[in-house]
Amino acid sequence: MTLTMVGGGVAGLLLVGGFFAFMFRGLRESTINNGLGHLQIYTANHFRRDETRALETGIDHWQQVAGVVSSGRHVRGVAPRIEFYGIISNGVKSSVFMGSAVDPDSEKGLGFTPRLTAGRDLDGKPSGEMEALIGTGVARSMNVKVGDGLTLLAVTSDGALNGVDVQIVGLVNTGYKEVDDRYLRITLPSAQRLLQSDRVTNLVVGLDATENTDQVWAELAPPLRGLPQEVTLKKWVELATYYNQVKTLFSGIFLFLGIIVFFMVVMSSVNTLLMAMLERTREIGTMLAMGTPRSWVVGLFVLEATLIGVLGALAGVVGGNLIGTMLNHAGLHMPPPPGLTVDLAFRVLHVPSLMIGSSLLVISSLALASILPAVRASRLQIAEALAHV
Amino acid sequence: MHDLVAMEEVSRKFPMDHSYVNALDHTNFRVVPGEFMAIAGPSGSGKSTLLNLIGCIDKPTTGRVLLDGVDTSTLKTTRLTALRRDKIGFVFQTFNLIPVFTASENVEFPLLLQGMPAQERRDRVSVALDSVGLTERAKHRPDLLSGGERQRVAVARAIVHRPALVLADEPTANLDTRNATQLIDLMRDLNRRLGLTFIFSTHDQRLLEHADRIVELCDGRVTSDRKSDSLSKRGQSCGSFSCSRLEMSSGTGAGH
Repeated sequence: MTLTMVGGGVAGLLLVGGFFAFMFRGLRESTINNGLGHLQIYTANHFRRDETRALETGIDHWQQVAGVVSSGRHVRGVAPRIEFYGIISNGVKSSVFMGSAVDPDSEKGLGFTPRLTAGRDLDGKPSGEMEALIGTGVARSMNVKVGDGLTLLAVTSDGALNGVDVQIVGLVNTGYKEVDDRYLRITLPSAQRLLQSDRVTNLVVGLDATENTDQVWAELAPPLRGLPQEVTLKKWVELATYYNQVKTLFSGIFLFLGIIVFFMVVMSSVNTLLMAMLERTREIGTMLAMGTPRSWVVGLFVLEATLIGVLGALAGVVGGNLIGTMLNHAGLHMPPPPGLTVDLAFRVLHVPSLMIGSSLLVISSLALASILPAVRASRLQIAEALAHV
Repeated sequence: MHDLVAMEEVSRKFPMDHSYVNALDHTNFRVVPGEFMAIAGPSGSGKSTLLNLIGCIDKPTTGRVLLDGVDTSTLKTTRLTALRRDKIGFVFQTFNLIPVFTASENVEFPLLLQGMPAQERRDRVSVALDSVGLTERAKHRPDLLSGGERQRVAVARAIVHRPALVLADEPTANLDTRNATQLIDLMRDLNRRLGLTFIFSTHDQRLLEHADRIVELCDGRVTSDRKSDSLSKRGQSCGSFSCSRLEMSSGTGAGH
């Protein structure tokens, strides 16, 4: 009974934790690959004060900074970006947009491709026509389609109002409705022309693997400090607000589940171990009569409970991984979570730290649960215990 | 010869409802090493209480219990535990073997408590099992042994650490005649051969016939304390355990 409870608890934690780990990893990689990158470089002033004019705290001579970063180990590429906002108009109706200007070739090099529902991605080659990608929400609001034209209005870095005409080459669905309703993406030269500045807001750095982020961050920080303009190197996790919110929420849920499992194991184990103590009263009395120290009896109970915990944990790890593997092969999908418009694959990751953590949790729960029965057993009156029927 | 056990004005009262029951009442007797002594009496006469007090698993309400000259009535739990471990072996009516241990592991247990090295433990266990004729059954668990075999394992467990005293509470009560006879012969043999002191409580006339000395209890008082050869001749007796109280002082010693 206790063994089943312990095994079930560990298996349950592994399945839930494994699914959460899969979600975290998926969210992490999608956050990074959707354009956040592994590292981002801003000017130090960017975080000290708000801009009063476009690109006021932008990076000068960004090619020099990119050159320093590109030479780093594990760096796959560097993509300059301009984040800006303004008004988009179809001549009849106007709306606010949140714009992002990119170098399409650099973005493609890093694997940052917008999720197009129509048309094509931006072209990196210079041409007379200014191209734009817009969100599906913007297209619906402006009542436009691929091939139509729109006008962008923005305040330049000098504070003047400037406008450019763009041709829609593609529609984007980011998965977030709020973003799709404001989404605009143009090329870097187009934005620099609109904003009348050579600066960029930031540089996005892509690495060969997310696990190398800390190492590259440590290696790049010293050379960046030697540049004329003071810059700040940020890790993806410092900028991934949504990821951190989701992780905090689900970690809280997992902690809650862990607490429930802990209490279930403790309560059921205390009961079972007390019953075992009652059943073994005469045996304990015999041991005490023969001169077994009372501390040995306590140790015996705790050791037995710990052993049950180890066996249960082992069974739980094997069972949890087996069920997880079966679920992974079943190809299950989850309905879209709040804020997303696409469904999620259901996968359970096999996380060694989770296996160790869950096992330690139930083993320590059982050891803890055994203390009360162990102390009671050690305090038995020998004569009464021997007469126990 | 010095006393191995000395009971001096020992009383043991147990609370019951709003009063007390006198399980033992001002009991006095002495036991010297090498005795093969029976404590007889009807149910409720105080035999088990007496054995518990001698075995240091209970304490008297008043009086003193001396084991090998040590007043056990005043000892702390840890000292009593050590005394039981080193000086006493127990044989129980219901065998009380540890069910998950094999016969040899059960016999080894007292030596484990003494922290004896493994090789010495194995040698002692082998000798003890051999002395009770169970060498062949050493690897069997208790549930695979007969009642007689279990009790012989219990005897081996009781003597393996060479205690000064073996206490046996109704050791033949759960055995058939053949096994009971074997056990009695075994205990008697160990007593004579190794000089082990045996004190046992019993109803069993077969066992009483082998005892050197019989202390009879009735209502918590010693009603008779005599050598066994006089037992069969006595006219006034508790032999049928009908508890016809003798007017003998409960303070009467063993006569040595």
